[in-house]
Amino acid sequence: MAGVTWRRLTLGVAAVYFLVPLAIAVWFTVYNESLGFSLGAYGRIVSAPGFGESLLKSLLLGAAVIVLVLLLALPALLAVRLGAPGLRPVLETITTLPLIVPPITYVVGIANALRGGTDALAATPFWQTLISIQDEDFPVVLVLAYVMLALPFAYRSLDTGLRAVDVRTLVEAARNLGASWPYVLFRVILPNLRSAVAGASFLSLALVMGEYTIAALMGYRTFPVWIVTVSGSDGQLSVALSVLSLGLIWLLLLTLSGAGRKSK
Amino acid sequence: MTVELRELRRSFGGTVALDGLSLTIEQGELIAFLGPSGCGKTTALRCVAGFERPDTGAVFIDGADVTRVPANRRDAGMVFQSYSLFPNLNVRDNVAFGLRVRRRPTSERHSRAAELLELVGLGGFGERYPHQLSGGQQQRVALARALALQPKVLLLDEPLSALDAKVRVNLREEIRRLQLELGITTIFVTHDQEEALSVADRVAVLKSGRLEQVAPPAEVYDRPATPFVAEFVGTMNHLPGRVSGETVEVFGHFLPLDGAAPGEEVDVLVRPEAVRVSPSEEGRGFILASSFRGSIARLRVQLDSGGEVLADVPGHEAVRLAPGLKVDVTLVERPVLTAPRTAVAAPVEPVA
Amino acid sequence: MAGLTGSRRRGGGAGWLAAAPLLVVTLIAFGIPTVVLGVGAFSVKGGGFGFDNLSATMQEPYIGALWSSVKLSAVVAILGAVLGAFLAQAVLTSRSGLLREAVLTASGVLANFGGVPLAFIWIATLGNSGVVTAALGLGSGVLYNFWGLALVYLYFSIPLMVLVIAPALDGLKPQWREAALNNGASTWQFWRHVGIPVLGPALLGGGVLLFGGAFAAYATAAAMVGASVPLVTLQIADALTGNVLIGYENIALALSVDMIVIALLVMAVYLPLQKRSSRWLA
Ligand SMILES: Nc1ncnc2c1ncn2[C@@H]1O[C@H](COP(=O)(O)OP(=O)(O)O)[C@@H](O)[C@H]1O
Ligand SMILES: [Mg+2]
Repeated sequence: MAGVTWRRLTLGVAAVYFLVPLAIAVWFTVYNESLGFSLGAYGRIVSAPGFGESLLKSLLLGAAVIVLVLLLALPALLAVRLGAPGLRPVLETITTLPLIVPPITYVVGIANALRGGTDALAATPFWQTLISIQDEDFPVVLVLAYVMLALPFAYRSLDTGLRAVDVRTLVEAARNLGASWPYVLFRVILPNLRSAVAGASFLSLALVMGEYTIAALMGYRTFPVWIVTVSGSDGQLSVALSVLSLGLIWLLLLTLSGAGRKSK
Repeated sequence: MTVELRELRRSFGGTVALDGLSLTIEQGELIAFLGPSGCGKTTALRCVAGFERPDTGAVFIDGADVTRVPANRRDAGMVFQSYSLFPNLNVRDNVAFGLRVRRRPTSERHSRAAELLELVGLGGFGERYPHQLSGGQQQRVALARALALQPKVLLLDEPLSALDAKVRVNLREEIRRLQLELGITTIFVTHDQEEALSVADRVAVLKSGRLEQVAPPAEVYDRPATPFVAEFVGTMNHLPGRVSGETVEVFGHFLPLDGAAPGEEVDVLVRPEAVRVSPSEEGRGFILASSFRGSIARLRVQLDSGGEVLADVPGHEAVRLAPGLKVDVTLVERPVLTAPRTAVAAPVEPVA
Repeated sequence: MAGLTGSRRRGGGAGWLAAAPLLVVTLIAFGIPTVVLGVGAFSVKGGGFGFDNLSATMQEPYIGALWSSVKLSAVVAILGAVLGAFLAQAVLTSRSGLLREAVLTASGVLANFGGVPLAFIWIATLGNSGVVTAALGLGSGVLYNFWGLALVYLYFSIPLMVLVIAPALDGLKPQWREAALNNGASTWQFWRHVGIPVLGPALLGGGVLLFGGAFAAYATAAAMVGASVPLVTLQIADALTGNVLIGYENIALALSVDMIVIALLVMAVYLPLQKRSSRWLA
């Protein structure tokens, strides 16, 4: 009996704490003393200058980050399982480091490195490279930074997924049947990893769609940065943007976990 | 220290797990609860341990009604099917857990744990962690832990079913030895009829939450009280028979009836070892298959009249009685059970 | 046997090759900025190296901001770990598959919800003209202080803890609890001697993750409290964006190094503890 009571109490308090601010936020965006009920705030988001542009930019960055994270992490993780267990501590360390360096300190490092780099390399062909990776429309520096930030979470998600698959036996069986390495990777291993890959992709994308610190301090107008600049002093608009970005994360999670589950 | 179950009833939603189970277990006795999966064995045991409250009915330990006593104040040590050792404690601390909870001094805890580990044949394993032990060793530790507080009753819920065949046989003999040595009243739950028959003083056969029969192993095997028991314990042939008075006619033999027959046209239940097979050109069937099992060989005989019969013959006759041979089938003269007629003669072997 | 070890050895070389892109990218994208950070932090104005910048960060206002960041992160980590574990246990033992699914999905969303949008939602609720503030007549400034910030950080920290601890709670076998009761233990004694130690690694790991999340958070705090709660992330951003006098860039670098050192210290405490409490795992 006592068990039921504390459970009810815990769930009740949690429901109040998590749902009340959400309900208020939604209410706040659709109701207004003078105008009554209106979806105007959401209309203003779409028509605000830079909405589509910044959203598209962030989605592009997100796609690039997902591809890069998977391309970097999967081969390394498979190698650990297929006969290079010595790699594991190295990978564990590498994927823990970004957790130790907070984004705000990381961006300090990046900014200083870029400034120092452009000064030092001014007379060489590398200068052009340095300038082009800072391109306003598709900043490669930001992609690399986000890959580093996403890596710890994506790595662990993939590692957990691989734990449930007997990679070694799968690979040996497929190779024994004459399958080539790319075939093994794309047709045998990845299909078995769908939900882990989906999880890693969600974490990476959610990170890109929410990261403000690095983008703002480096002066890139990604979607999270745009939200802050556009909301200005319009309270209703800013809360509507918050609800929108929460909805976006939710949509991403549903889409990607749906994609991960379909295989089974 | 007797244990009495009185009219226990327990249902989960629409499922009736216990349907008026009554049974008394005598002091120092090892009783086996035997029955198919889902028949309520675990639920009955958990009622004794205190993890489950019966909807109605009562549990008495040593004459005292313990139905409402919480699990941590009952004098019953329990061994679970598997994985019940605390993974964060080494073997010694697992065994001494109950003493630790009772705040006994360290020296007492250690000496008692060592004593118990010696008893279950694991002296010197105290410092190991559960994951460093085999399944059989883990169950020995679980047994030692269950005995640590010197409970009045020992409860074992399919303690061997997660183990290899060989370990299973060894450990069940060890459990029996210990139980006799300590003289502790014990309930041993199993769905394996061979296990039940080989370790128990008495076997209680359960079906759908009810007691079908409780009797010593030999009696359960030789004189099953109901067709269900007859079929669940050991292998049974179903042979078509016709009742006439106090006897039933099968294959031209007239065998005495054991109990009332359910009608005129019946199935006669006959154990394979009560079937005799001899080579004969004019026989009523031929040998379909033979499986050699060491001391015996089990033959499958196809009857000309349709249906099959299983027969156990001495192992050395397996060579002579080879598949394809035309044979005659006769039955040992002894009282037989009957059941309502099913379609064709077919042997029923236990699933377990 | 020989064949197996042979393929192992070959696999080793190929393995490092497969990991090479990851190692190289990490070296460039992560190694260069951190090295630059370190070098800058120890550079002295006139040229050469020294501890000038670092010792400057050991004075007010920086030391106060550092301390306040650590306190906030510790509070969030401890409260978040405990409350998250309770919530997860309540959900997982409720036997309602729907509730479980709903809470885990919601946790996945909320654990990734942060930054400025999070601040806006709470400002609408408990800010000076927030709905709850007005309804309960709480007056102004409820949200814009240390505990207000902790309340807001818990909004993503508790869900994160739920996600971290749920698999560990699922791994707690019901037989352990029953075996403990059977040995005369109370429910509390079960948790103390078995449940909490078994959950130990996951609880600790979750706590460290929560600490890191709160410690690194910048945007939420910037949008909410401005300068009224001094935090090291706010100080770094100020120094970086020139909100303060020119010439303070190296202070930003030194503060960054301070943050990394604190994070390392937390790891240094966590790893041995984690190792000790997981020694009985296979
Ligand atoms: N906690 C429970 N919730 C719902 N049904 C249960 C529960 N425990 C047992 N049952 C049901 O009660 C019946 C008897 O179960 P049990 O005692 O475990 O059988 P046995 O141990 O003989 O296999 C089964 O049909 C089972 O599904
Ligand atoms: Mg059972």
